[in-house]
Amino acid sequence: MKKIKDIENMDWEALEQAAGTSQANVPADLESSIKAAILASEAMAEKQPATRRLPARAFYGFAFAAALAAVITVGVARQRPLQDTFDDPLLAYAEVQKTFRQISDKMNVGLELASEARTTAEKPAEILKKINE
Amino acid sequence: MKKLILVATLMMISVAMFAQSGKSIYKKYSDCEKVSAVYISPAMFRLIGQIPDLEVEDESINLTPIIKSLKGLYLINSENPDIRESVIKDVERFVDSDDYELLMEAKEEGEIVRIYTVGNEQTVKGFVMLALEATELTFICIDGEMARDDLDATFAKMMK
Repeated sequence: MKKIKDIENMDWEALEQAAGTSQANVPADLESSIKAAILASEAMAEKQPATRRLPARAFYGFAFAAALAAVITVGVARQRPLQDTFDDPLLAYAEVQKTFRQISDKMNVGLELASEARTTAEKPAEILKKINE
Repeated sequence: MKKLILVATLMMISVAMFAQSGKSIYKKYSDCEKVSAVYISPAMFRLIGQIPDLEVEDESINLTPIIKSLKGLYLINSENPDIRESVIKDVERFVDSDDYELLMEAKEEGEIVRIYTVGNEQTVKGFVMLALEATELTFICIDGEMARDDLDATFAKMMK
């Protein structure tokens, strides 16, 4: 009995000689078993069709599911109630007052700018008026 | 074909649901870093309106008559540069989609203030202010059924 290391070191000719001289027990039904296995694999291959393309219906179904999921998700998210910043109505009122003050300050800036622009626009008219007099 | 129409309808509904409002903008940004946010609900406005002897510091700007017509106040003040552009876009989308009219725009020394209102000649149903400074952004949205004359008078008094 040769060891694996010895077999690995053998060349092709020596291997052929060893194969010819050795007596291996081959099962009697080996050939029929191989044929049966080949036939079975061929039958399986015939049953399984090649890669199938998804029909358009599948796409519509997917799009429908995605749209429905989006609607439900957004709907649920929107239902989340907001929490009042203030529990005390007086504090809330003070905040409203502060907010209105802030808005009026900003409006004031706009009105001042408009007033300045009007003054600038009126100057040439005044000059023309004086010239005509 | 029916399914296609159904899908398109659902898509449109979902797009509509993603549309901006003062509430959705508040929800989106109120929890962000460097953001201070204020929300006053319709219930709180009703509560304020029911206080019998509301002491007003400055009598000239008594807001009690107008308070009763308010349905919600959303305020976002941000010093977060990461969300600045996103807030501006969302506010622009909101005022565009809700047919808000530009009431005033003022630009001075790098500061931009835009004020929008929606409603009719008698009633203001929505009031939006977006103030952009170099490092700060303020978004204010007030919902309600405010008489335009009352609102104008209030601001006129405050501006004196």
